[in-house]
Amino acid sequence: MNKLKRLTETKYFMTVLWIVIIIALWEIFAFIVAATKRTPENILPHLTGIMESVMSDRTINGGQTAIQMVMENAAATLSRAGIGYVVGIVCGFVLALLMSLWKPIEKIAFPYLMLIQMIPILGMAPIINALTGDIAVSRVAIAAILTFYPVATNTLAGFKAVQREKHELMYSYAANKFQIYTKTMIPACIPYFFTGLKISAPMAITASILVDTLQGGIGLGCLLSQALKGAMTRYVFWQIVFFSAIIGILSFSVMGLLEYILCPYKRTSKKEKE
Amino acid sequence: MSANTSTEIMLKDIGMVYKTNDNRDVTALTGVSIDIQKGEFVSLVGPSGCGKTTLLRIIADLLTPTSGEISIAGETPRQARLKRRYGIVFQSAVLYEWRTVKKNIMMPLEIMHVPVKEREERAMKMLELVGLSEFANHYPNQLSGGMQQRVGIARALAVQPEILLMDEPFSALDEFTREKLHADLLKIWRKTNKTIVFVTHNIQESVFLSDKICVLSPHPGRLSAVVDIDLPRPRTMEMKNTVEFTNLVAKVRNSFEGV
Repeated sequence: MNKLKRLTETKYFMTVLWIVIIIALWEIFAFIVAATKRTPENILPHLTGIMESVMSDRTINGGQTAIQMVMENAAATLSRAGIGYVVGIVCGFVLALLMSLWKPIEKIAFPYLMLIQMIPILGMAPIINALTGDIAVSRVAIAAILTFYPVATNTLAGFKAVQREKHELMYSYAANKFQIYTKTMIPACIPYFFTGLKISAPMAITASILVDTLQGGIGLGCLLSQALKGAMTRYVFWQIVFFSAIIGILSFSVMGLLEYILCPYKRTSKKEKE
Repeated sequence: MSANTSTEIMLKDIGMVYKTNDNRDVTALTGVSIDIQKGEFVSLVGPSGCGKTTLLRIIADLLTPTSGEISIAGETPRQARLKRRYGIVFQSAVLYEWRTVKKNIMMPLEIMHVPVKEREERAMKMLELVGLSEFANHYPNQLSGGMQQRVGIARALAVQPEILLMDEPFSALDEFTREKLHADLLKIWRKTNKTIVFVTHNIQESVFLSDKICVLSPHPGRLSAVVDIDLPRPRTMEMKNTVEFTNLVAKVRNSFEGV
């Protein structure tokens, strides 16, 4: 009994338990769907079916296997999401810095930043597309716009959370503005900055896939809508669903890992006795 | 102890009036005149609202008084600050949590562009002074409250100031840690010969540490008495049990007005 209690308290136990529950539920419903529907793979295929389609070397569409197609399109989408993400991070950080340096900029920009967040991506996409005149560029731009907001607001919150006494210390050291920012403000806001990064990483990927579906070309979203329309085996669709879920979670975890590496002071919280 | 009689900090008729949001004037301090000698340990004692912290912040150039004169070793507070004539310690240690203990102490030295090698040496010397050499590479969150506050003191001393300003530095610590830090602070003071201005609301603490206690009373904040503490140095824990000590505590307590 005691052992069981200790087991349930470990961090990984819950994760594993969740995965097992989800797989079990999926399979139960897959069996029901398989028994009652004519084309079960359109609704809920068995997980083994999806695995099989991943492993399969049967070519579809011009000599590529399903997984090769998914990977090729994923590379295009992810690189667009990645570029947009980086652009969004840089812009978000710089804007937060400017808002923190000059109050008028904060007063002008901050209330309207939220508007960006409120416009649905699919509503924004045609406008951006018209502005840039190129679907690939507008896909990058949308990933950047979605990244931008959480990074800017969280970083600004980080700048504002710096203790008053830290400012006073810097003042007593007669530090100049550059030193105040490089030595106090920016290092102090890094955990907040990472919160922004963790929120926006999966968002940038989701947005990229979603905007892909608007027009053709190469991209996970394009492939996804083709597969949904029956242009190829439905398993391509399922592969994309799983692949994007995994990448989304992974992008979040990578940011967490990066924070863990860059902020060693956050790991060590055991107190020494006086 | 402090045979040196040159005046380090001169406050003359200091007044401080705040404007509140609804445009009323609030007098935080009025007519405060204090002379602090070089090497002296002076406490500013009083209940909340007496303006003791305001007074310390005026000395630190964090506030500008609305009336009166102030000079620090013959200079204005601003000049004194720019020349790093004082180090300041707050109620909380205010450590840079992303820096190790040693790098925390090196922070002001980096800002002053002290060469890297000298920075290291001075940081290690300061750590030795506060007895934390072995914790040089720890992060602040690995230290207890008392240790953190000692790092704060070491950092304030690292700029080699003539004056140490302390704003209720031990009030957040437990009694045992506080007593230990009292002894440590007096030892550091004896070794470094700094002028210390110490703000506290703890009468016992001020009597134990100080050469001179400036008693401040509230509404409006004013200096109601200056009590000289002639207990012999070095001070020991046993002195707290003597009649002299108790009498001095009573004398300070009786000096408050309008509390």
